[in-house]
Amino acid sequence: MDDYTVGVLTSIGLFGFLAISAYLLLLAGEMSFGQQAFFGVGAYSGGMLTAMFGWPLPLAAIAAMALGALAALMVALPTLRLRGLYFAMATLAAAEMARIGFELVHWQVEIDGEGEREMRGPDGTQGFRGIRWVFENGVEPEAYLVIIWFMLALVVAAILALERSRLGATLRGVGEDPDLAAALGVDVTRFKLGVAAAAGALAAFGGVLYAHHNTYVEPRNFDIMLGVHSLAYALIGGLGTVFGPLLGVLVDIGLLEGSRVFQGYRMIVFGGLVALLLVFRPRGLLDERMVQWIRQRFSSSASSR
Amino acid sequence: MDKATLLVIRFLALALLLPLPALAQRAQAELACAPTKTDFIYDCTIRLTRGGQPLSGAQITVGADMPSMPMAHNVKPVKAKPGRASGEYAASLDLEMLGEWAVKLRLAGPVKDQLVLLYDFDDKGARPVTRSGKPHRK
Repeated sequence: MDDYTVGVLTSIGLFGFLAISAYLLLLAGEMSFGQQAFFGVGAYSGGMLTAMFGWPLPLAAIAAMALGALAALMVALPTLRLRGLYFAMATLAAAEMARIGFELVHWQVEIDGEGEREMRGPDGTQGFRGIRWVFENGVEPEAYLVIIWFMLALVVAAILALERSRLGATLRGVGEDPDLAAALGVDVTRFKLGVAAAAGALAAFGGVLYAHHNTYVEPRNFDIMLGVHSLAYALIGGLGTVFGPLLGVLVDIGLLEGSRVFQGYRMIVFGGLVALLLVFRPRGLLDERMVQWIRQRFSSSASSR
Repeated sequence: MDKATLLVIRFLALALLLPLPALAQRAQAELACAPTKTDFIYDCTIRLTRGGQPLSGAQITVGADMPSMPMAHNVKPVKAKPGRASGEYAASLDLEMLGEWAVKLRLAGPVKDQLVLLYDFDDKGARPVTRSGKPHRK
């Protein structure tokens, strides 16, 4: 596999975590423009733990997920009382606060190397270099790609299982009609807090993997553009199944890569294509109706055998 | 057991066996880019050193990302060719627009590493990004 293909597949996998994170919140009826903040929390905290304190990546990833969940809870607690656009704006504001917060972090430690000493850690707007655990431990890009996709497959399997469970039905119920769900005895606020924390942890996990893939992060990596894209993945791909946001990532990256022939104008072309897609498929490609139709086709073909 | 599962098991085993990373002497790189007659295409010379000495024989794959939209605004990676002088390599970068780019050098051969260099590309060439009056550390 050439470098370009590995790079594109890695990007699709990494964005997949962010897309599923936004998708979970959309299922719960909340539109967040702020998932990039938790992606950033994961990238910074995971990077700091491996690069500055020598933690192994798996342990750093677990800790970063816990921090991502905690950060998401801190944002969700005061904002979940808001509805619709107000909640979206609040999450955007929180994400921008987080980005500015990353710019204020100056914490570096001296690391002993072979024949040289170097400072590692976040240095405000100068960014955070030297997140090199993957390189220092000889993990090849292809192997790292497999790890990313293996983890993504685990997440997808877990969410598929969730969607088929009573909990999944409650999640969709809370998203579609929170008042009705509350009348049926669901503690909607607590439920949404749980979803926000899970979505934050998932975004943070993507962030850890991203930081170690890139070896360098900076606050601007986690600005509004990333948040808009993460939401767009779920909206383009559809909310009928967890494969929707993944399809959204595929379409997004595919359109971006496919429109390279337009060179500097490709973002304009890309935006136009996305707009057209949403005009003809307002609830995304894999919306609930499409998923139902696919299920029926599969079940009828299975029963006719 | 399939190949993917084996790779993940190897990764996890490595993670547990090597909690403290072994550090090797880092390579350093500088970039000098000149615009070509075609918009957004730059001819770049990479100067690679290790321990202050030119580092020849490396295989360098050059890519670039815009920091404000990582992984989306990026450049198709190209292989750098050995340049005229020792430790020098040449690559042509086809950027989509002017502005700040994080140029990624993936090194193979005598040293395995990835270096990220922040450069500001304009119609005159490329300069290391300066923030708060200080050059960006390499």
